Amino acid sequence: MHLKYESTLREPLVDGEKDYHQVTEDIISPIEGKPGKLWYVGFFISLSLLGFGAFSVFWQIYFGVGVWNLNKTIGWGWDITNFVWWVGIGHAGTLISAILLLFRQGWRTGVNRAAEAMTIFAVMCAGQFPIIHMGRVWMAFFILPYPNTRGPVWVNFNSPLLWDVFAISTYFTVSLLFWYSGLIPDFATVRDRAKTKLRKLLYGVASFGWTGSTKHWQRHEALSLVLAGLATPLVLSVHTIVSFDFATSVIPGWHTTIFPPYFVAGAIFSGFAMVQTLLIITRKILNLEQYITIGHMEAMNKVIVLTGSVVGCAYLTELFMAWYGANPYEFDTFFKYRAAGPLGWSYWIMMTCNVISPQVFWFRKMRRSIAVTFVMSIIVNIGMWFERFVIICTSLYRDYLPSSWSYYRPSWPEVGFYMGTFGLFFTCYFLFAKYFPVIAVAEIKSILKTSGENFKEKMEVYEDQSDEKFAHDVAHAH
Amino acid sequence: MEQKKYWKGLEELHNTDAHQEIVKNEFSEELPFESESLLNATTPRRDFLKYLGFTTAAAAIAASCETPVRKAIPYVNKPEEITPGVANYYASSYTIDGEFVPVVVKTREGRPIKMEGNTLSTITNGSTTARVQGAVLSLYDTARLRYPSIGGTETTWAELDKQVTAALSGLGGAPVVLLSSTLLSPTTKKVIGEFLAKYPNSRHVVYDAVSYSGMLAANEASYGKRVIPSYRFDNAKVIVSLGADFLGTWLNPAEFCDQFAKTRKIDAKKPEMSKHFVFESTMSLTGANADERYTHRPSQAGAVALALLAAVGGNVTAPAIADKRVADGIQKAAKELKANQGKSLVVSGSNDVNVQIIVNAINNIIGANGTTIDFASPSNYRQGNDAEMAKLVADMNAGSIGAVLVYGANPAYDYYDAPKFVEGLKKVKLAVSFNERNDETTELCKYQAPDHHFLESWNDAEAKTGYYSFTQPTILPLFKTRAVQDSLLTWSGNTTTWADYLKNEWVAKLGGDQSAWDKVLQDGVIEPATAPALSGASFAGDVAGAAAKINSAKKGGTYELVLYEKVAIGNGRLANNPWLQEMPDPITRATWDNYACISNTLAQKFSTELGDDYEIHVERKVLKIKANGKEVELPLLIVPGIHPDVIAIAVGYGRSANTGKAAGGIGKNAYPFVSFNGQTFDYFSTDASVEATGSKYPVASTQTHNSYEGRPIVKETTLAEFIRNPKEVNEDRNELKKFGPDFRKDATLYPNYEYQGIKWGMSIDLNSCFGCGACTIACQAENNVSVVGKDEVAKGHEMHWLRIDRYFSGDTDNPEVVFQPMLCQHCDNAPCENVCPVGATNHSNEGINQMAYNRCIGTRYCANNCPYKVRRLNWRDWNGADSFENNLYDVADMNDNLTRMVLNPDVVVRSRGVMEKCSFCVQRLQDAKLQAKKEGHPLKDGAAKTACQQACSAGAIVFGNVNDKNSEIFKIRNEQQTDRLYYVLEETHTLPNINYLAKIRNKDAAPKAESAHHEEAHHA
Repeated sequence: MHLKYESTLREPLVDGEKDYHQVTEDIISPIEGKPGKLWYVGFFISLSLLGFGAFSVFWQIYFGVGVWNLNKTIGWGWDITNFVWWVGIGHAGTLISAILLLFRQGWRTGVNRAAEAMTIFAVMCAGQFPIIHMGRVWMAFFILPYPNTRGPVWVNFNSPLLWDVFAISTYFTVSLLFWYSGLIPDFATVRDRAKTKLRKLLYGVASFGWTGSTKHWQRHEALSLVLAGLATPLVLSVHTIVSFDFATSVIPGWHTTIFPPYFVAGAIFSGFAMVQTLLIITRKILNLEQYITIGHMEAMNKVIVLTGSVVGCAYLTELFMAWYGANPYEFDTFFKYRAAGPLGWSYWIMMTCNVISPQVFWFRKMRRSIAVTFVMSIIVNIGMWFERFVIICTSLYRDYLPSSWSYYRPSWPEVGFYMGTFGLFFTCYFLFAKYFPVIAVAEIKSILKTSGENFKEKMEVYEDQSDEKFAHDVAHAH
Repeated sequence: MEQKKYWKGLEELHNTDAHQEIVKNEFSEELPFESESLLNATTPRRDFLKYLGFTTAAAAIAASCETPVRKAIPYVNKPEEITPGVANYYASSYTIDGEFVPVVVKTREGRPIKMEGNTLSTITNGSTTARVQGAVLSLYDTARLRYPSIGGTETTWAELDKQVTAALSGLGGAPVVLLSSTLLSPTTKKVIGEFLAKYPNSRHVVYDAVSYSGMLAANEASYGKRVIPSYRFDNAKVIVSLGADFLGTWLNPAEFCDQFAKTRKIDAKKPEMSKHFVFESTMSLTGANADERYTHRPSQAGAVALALLAAVGGNVTAPAIADKRVADGIQKAAKELKANQGKSLVVSGSNDVNVQIIVNAINNIIGANGTTIDFASPSNYRQGNDAEMAKLVADMNAGSIGAVLVYGANPAYDYYDAPKFVEGLKKVKLAVSFNERNDETTELCKYQAPDHHFLESWNDAEAKTGYYSFTQPTILPLFKTRAVQDSLLTWSGNTTTWADYLKNEWVAKLGGDQSAWDKVLQDGVIEPATAPALSGASFAGDVAGAAAKINSAKKGGTYELVLYEKVAIGNGRLANNPWLQEMPDPITRATWDNYACISNTLAQKFSTELGDDYEIHVERKVLKIKANGKEVELPLLIVPGIHPDVIAIAVGYGRSANTGKAAGGIGKNAYPFVSFNGQTFDYFSTDASVEATGSKYPVASTQTHNSYEGRPIVKETTLAEFIRNPKEVNEDRNELKKFGPDFRKDATLYPNYEYQGIKWGMSIDLNSCFGCGACTIACQAENNVSVVGKDEVAKGHEMHWLRIDRYFSGDTDNPEVVFQPMLCQHCDNAPCENVCPVGATNHSNEGINQMAYNRCIGTRYCANNCPYKVRRLNWRDWNGADSFENNLYDVADMNDNLTRMVLNPDVVVRSRGVMEKCSFCVQRLQDAKLQAKKEGHPLKDGAAKTACQQACSAGAIVFGNVNDKNSEIFKIRNEQQTDRLYYVLEETHTLPNINYLAKIRNKDAAPKAESAHHEEAHHA
């Protein structure tokens, strides 16, 4: 007897009466049908946002960064805030796919595909900002270390902004590979079920000739592990490097050694919140409640309350250090111009959204409430956006020399650009939801017989057996 | 069993030759990709990656190549004196409206691009002001008149001459009046005299927009001479200014800054300095630099002067001064004045004869005559006569004036009763304007005979009796303009050209020696071989009469109004100068507007006050101010230190659209508030009302936070404290010693770079920086710094490489002020350098923080990380230096082909999207080094000067090679000023190459800097 046993005390990861075929049907059939009206509405709104964003970017590139409301004192505003925010959001996908894979967390299978897709799209959005925010975006290639006839002039390897270039591009590449390699068996499934020639052709190309042979599976598993191994340090490194943009500077409020762990925790925090937002909608619209269960959401809410508390701890540590460090500039930044002062409101939005409100997730009832989870996921992302805004703007607007103190409100192209990245993100996500299996079919199947509700029910007989009998049966199984 | 033979086809069965051939080959058909033809192709499959790599690299290299070179046309016949790339210098003089600054004009390829003070002049000693620095831009002003015109239609000079002479001869004896502002040129006056002599009853009326007529009249009454004496602030130990802004706008600030600065330099071995009292109504630049400052209502100006006279022992009864602080201040000032008999000076900015008589009486008592006031070589700075002007306007309205020839004056704009002047001008038979632009008066004149700009002209000037200075053309006239003197000579029938006339005049004066004339032009000045001894004049003023009139003056109403000149714009003559419009006002830090300056106390009545909310909005509440039956709506601006019941408005704004793109439509004209008291113009109103209008108007300021929050970025102490313990002002530097004996080396893990050879350094003395802003404009002119316009300034996008931070401290109604020039500190451990991802900013081995504009991609990371916030991004296409069409952002015609002639060809124009900042005028440094190399000696101290250093009339900026032990900068840092020397934000280990010298106030109170550490810093 070969037994895949999981305690029945553990919640099933797939609800309902499922077999392998049913799983395939549930997940693949939306790809084969026509999208619903809601999909079209959503897709059109996304495209419009993307168009408006493109126009805002065009406006800014044509007339100069001066159309933004940044100034001599505040060189970064919504641009870099949005960059850090989007990068942070990306982190959940990698964490789910890589670290949870290595930790053998079976529940990741229900959400990893969408989470990884979200990572890819979020990093795509994030990448726009450091490029477009440049004064001379057409010279952006200067930032790449390529051989040239200018001396050659080399990039400045001391600059954290350059490290960003490497960190983000590596991150994007690895995430994309990881995501795509996971998609191959599922694409093959779509191909095999295809009833139209075009679909067969396209998914055939996309599945790289996957036949499902044992060798394929073996290599696929090995690749997954290798990529998971590669991606794991990236989860920690990318946001660490993003935090170096600030931590290595001399500006009070930026110059802080706590930033790397604080940023990583914040990234995971906001990433999981974004996964929640997306999945709550996705599972509803695509009728995937049995695969993305309340249990999944609860697991993620636990991560949210943990990372939210880590972040809260970091905020308090910063305040403590600002006092304990006895640096008058830093003290002023934190206590007079961040927690108070003209931009003080943003600090308290951040505190409320990131530290106070996630504490509701200490209560199981709250963790398992879809409505609360959805609202919280939005609040957390608002809070995390403000965290980046607070770090960037409240440090810059009142730094060393009071003569330069300034204030900042975004102009319409800055807001438009941000909305445009939402457009990009959701355009991609809508296409993904329509054309890609939003749940990893192959991976769900791998845990179905352990953690599927109907299979778990069969395990109940063993729960009643004595330990000796169970051990005997296992030992003498044929 | 027989082995069965299976065959696949008949070929195999019969084993044909063809079949055997096939069997021999492993593959029945040739593999398509291994065919000979493909492998031998020019780009075989196996070389795919190689070619891919090559083409990518080639594309990358090609993309990084420069765009095609555009060739310039070389000289066909090169003028002898012009070597492309080498500047020529010509001596000249800035004499607009009587302000007198001898200058040296730098020309490149025949274009004047910069003016420096002429160091040969003992009057100004090479000083300049912001307006002098900016005046070169006015030469290229697109709004200048380009040709003579009659009734608005272009004409020829011949036609104009014909018509004007005909009109002049047809006046039938009606008087011809030449109406000018103050003229310093004796030869021009001679030409005018000869011209007017031709017409009976003709006269020359001198009218100054901002008049000193009261002073002239008072001096006539007191000393029998209608002159303005020379002032010698440098001889004064105690200076009391009664509303005379001598550092900013009064008479000749370049001269007075230079003199005053001499009394403010601290010799560490023997620390002493002048004591400077100011009594005024608004906050002037001079008031901001006072040791003791008191505010009073303008209606009290006479009373304050009288009280001071009484206090120094004058035979008058002191009127009661209700404000105890002011009353005490008067006693204190009087005590100091008396204690420094013969070493003290009182000056007054009043245009009231009686007040000036009282001031003369004070000066007489304190022994100023002949010591700090010199009648031996009186100045000609202002000659306007208000009463004559008023009479002229009356005569014009009476129809008794035949012709008015306007030269330099603009009464249709700046006369107190301009509508009356305009009315009168209509009744004049012949109206001619020589003004160089179509200003408010010129547009009313039928005949427009535009004069050259002074940089295109010949002229002389007698600023003070016996002190001459010259103006020579530095460029051929850009337009079909003609010297006013040529016009007058022609109309008076003299065929000599003005150039010859002037030359003949001077060659004759110089003893018929042409070479002496050449030498004069080269030097630019003629001065007495030995300066005449200072001499006073016997005072015979009617003090009792003046006192009686002052005492009978009507008392002020609830609010009072003061008109003042801005340091940059002055009386409005140079209003169409974008550099000056964008220059932040030294006190308010606002640009591009005038506004109603009010105190915080008064602002509170309109529910607005200093604080975060005020700082973060550019919109200001608009007030309606009424006085003298006129009213104007202007945004309020809170100015700490202004008297709580006073509203101050700058003149020089509200120009007509014809004046030019920069000046037209900006601000409101405040001249209508001027009143005529029967003798002189009053630039104040004792009864004004002010009310809120409910609307708002944006005012673009470059600095919104007024306090330095007690941070040790500004260090100051009092003279007494400094004498007691010179080390105290820099006590906080002791903390740095914890790192070890050498903070530079001991406070870092990284190796120290030793600077061999030249290491540039700058020292800025906060004690002699008066905040006038000449350096800001000099820097702008030298380095092609872009003008951005009001809206962009409001967004914090101004480009100035050098700004002057102005901080208030203490009580908002009686604050102390400190000015701190802030520019790139050229940190040896620069935070900007290591964060630039592309290495566009880096350090030279001479200690300069350099910018490679072509490399910059505009991430702004450097600016964020700059603790001094001195880096400036080109937010928009200010100057057409990018390759996008139609995205130029130019609100002031700075990119007209004409205006662009002012650009310094040694400094590249920066394109949109790149960061820029102070370069220590690296082009000048390179030039000086090259010169030294050519001459074969090491660089001499003082050979390389930055533009800001050269412009500073107070000598507050010292620059040089700190590795040169004989250099001034070395001596300051290591010998002379070790106690006052500090670096801003030194503790961040940025290792700046600019040091500051702590400010010292000559006052008794405890130093503010110290108390600020203990108390909650006051939001001034």
